[in-house]
Amino acid sequence: MDFIEIFTIPFMQRAFIAAILLAIILGFFGIFIVPRRLSFMADGITHASLLGIALGLLIGAYPLIYAFILAIILGIILARITDYSRITQDGLVGIFLVGGMSAAIIIMSFIPGYKPELFSYLFGNLLSINWLDIYLLGVFFIIVVLVLIFQWRPLVLTTIHNDLSRILDMPMNKTRYFLFIGTSMALIAGVKLLGVILVSGLLIIPVLIANQVGNSFKSNVIFTQLIAIIITFLGVIFSYVFDLPTGPSIGLLLVVTFILSLLYSFIRSKNRSH
Amino acid sequence: MTINIIQYDKVSVYIGSKKIISDASCSIPKNSLTFLVGENGSGKTTLVKSILGLLPLSSGQISFDVIENRKPILGYVPQNIVFPEPFKITVSEYLKYAAHVPSNEIKTTLEKVDFPETHIRSNITELSGGQIQKILLAAELYRRPEILFLDEPLSSVDDSSEKHIIDVILDEKKEGVSIVIITHDWQFVSSYADHVICLNRNYICDSGNNCVCKNSLSKVNIKNIQKTTPDPNNTHIGYCYIENI
Repeated sequence: MDFIEIFTIPFMQRAFIAAILLAIILGFFGIFIVPRRLSFMADGITHASLLGIALGLLIGAYPLIYAFILAIILGIILARITDYSRITQDGLVGIFLVGGMSAAIIIMSFIPGYKPELFSYLFGNLLSINWLDIYLLGVFFIIVVLVLIFQWRPLVLTTIHNDLSRILDMPMNKTRYFLFIGTSMALIAGVKLLGVILVSGLLIIPVLIANQVGNSFKSNVIFTQLIAIIITFLGVIFSYVFDLPTGPSIGLLLVVTFILSLLYSFIRSKNRSH
Repeated sequence: MTINIIQYDKVSVYIGSKKIISDASCSIPKNSLTFLVGENGSGKTTLVKSILGLLPLSSGQISFDVIENRKPILGYVPQNIVFPEPFKITVSEYLKYAAHVPSNEIKTTLEKVDFPETHIRSNITELSGGQIQKILLAAELYRRPEILFLDEPLSSVDDSSEKHIIDVILDEKKEGVSIVIITHDWQFVSSYADHVICLNRNYICDSGNNCVCKNSLSKVNIKNIQKTTPDPNNTHIGYCYIENI
């Protein structure tokens, strides 16, 4: 098979466009989610959103709409949790995860027959992405980038320290809601390509890899974006060439790259100490 | 006549269900070097955080006598701050984000607080507590707030930097900044204080003009009690405001 041929197939073109847009969006959110130790939140939101997908499949409507609505609601609830709340953020995420998954599986047990779409939603499928998905993703991408331009400094400072950010007059609530709701929506936007189970990997792992190789915040941001884009791109090609689900293809590449980055970091620190 | 830049009036503050500050009153004079002293757990940091708006008041009020529309009003250098490790923010990046320090002024901004030039590109998480405090102080000095709160500014710095930091603080005061310092260093208090606010659950006031403020290190006689809560004429547990030691 001619390698160039991959780029001429319409569904592959859609998958590549979706992969790049998602890598950039999730990369940006991951930069602020990972240092805040909220990685578990990503898993909780996506797993709980399976309830929305199950409802959609039961009713026979576009399942991601329900997942989006549910994720936005969960994002808002999480954003309202503060240091002085009676329940911690990770505790609440655990409840969402268990509640959402349990309800989703029970609902699915009422849907008769084989459910092929369910496998796509769980592990991602590059064939499932249509042009409507791309247009919606494009609009979401533009909104995220525009808001990021204005919220960048507050996001950086609130990630560093809440008290100092308040004294610096940062819009604490606006930033918090943008981060939580935006991340929740970005995760659901990635469900078709990567699947509910593995989409959080693209939010978390590129940041962890960049952290091994970067030596400043600026370099971390650049590396996160480059790593996310390259690996997602390669994962889509792997998925097509070897006929594998897209989510696990990208997920495995991310984990292998992370291990290599750890090795690089280890060798670099050894060389420095000599 | 002394003009107070902050008036703290009958304020109570809870953290969770615990009352940390109870019906306390004090004032911070304008363009002064005010020290906040007291035992561990007496509520010094809580008092500062309530003034900074970081903790809600359950009762009472805080008023500021500041020039309207002049920003920034408040600055704060905490004693300990843990930067998130995966963020990899460098010293120069922090100064740019926190205080809008331009690239060509970073070196001079850090020189002010005796921060080594060789560490400008270092990740903040790799630095010591004292060095981090210097960076936070440098950012606040560049921002030039009207009132600057410093929590134990000398506790983590080495001897050679101590004099430098004190000189910087005194220079800021000369420039018109009102400075409030939390400390346990009584030598520091007795050498430089214009005013002292004592938050102590274990102090003895045997007369209206004499107050012995106990702490774990020493005892210092503090005169001229201006205002106390509750009544200064009796031995009691509470808060007192003292001027001109």
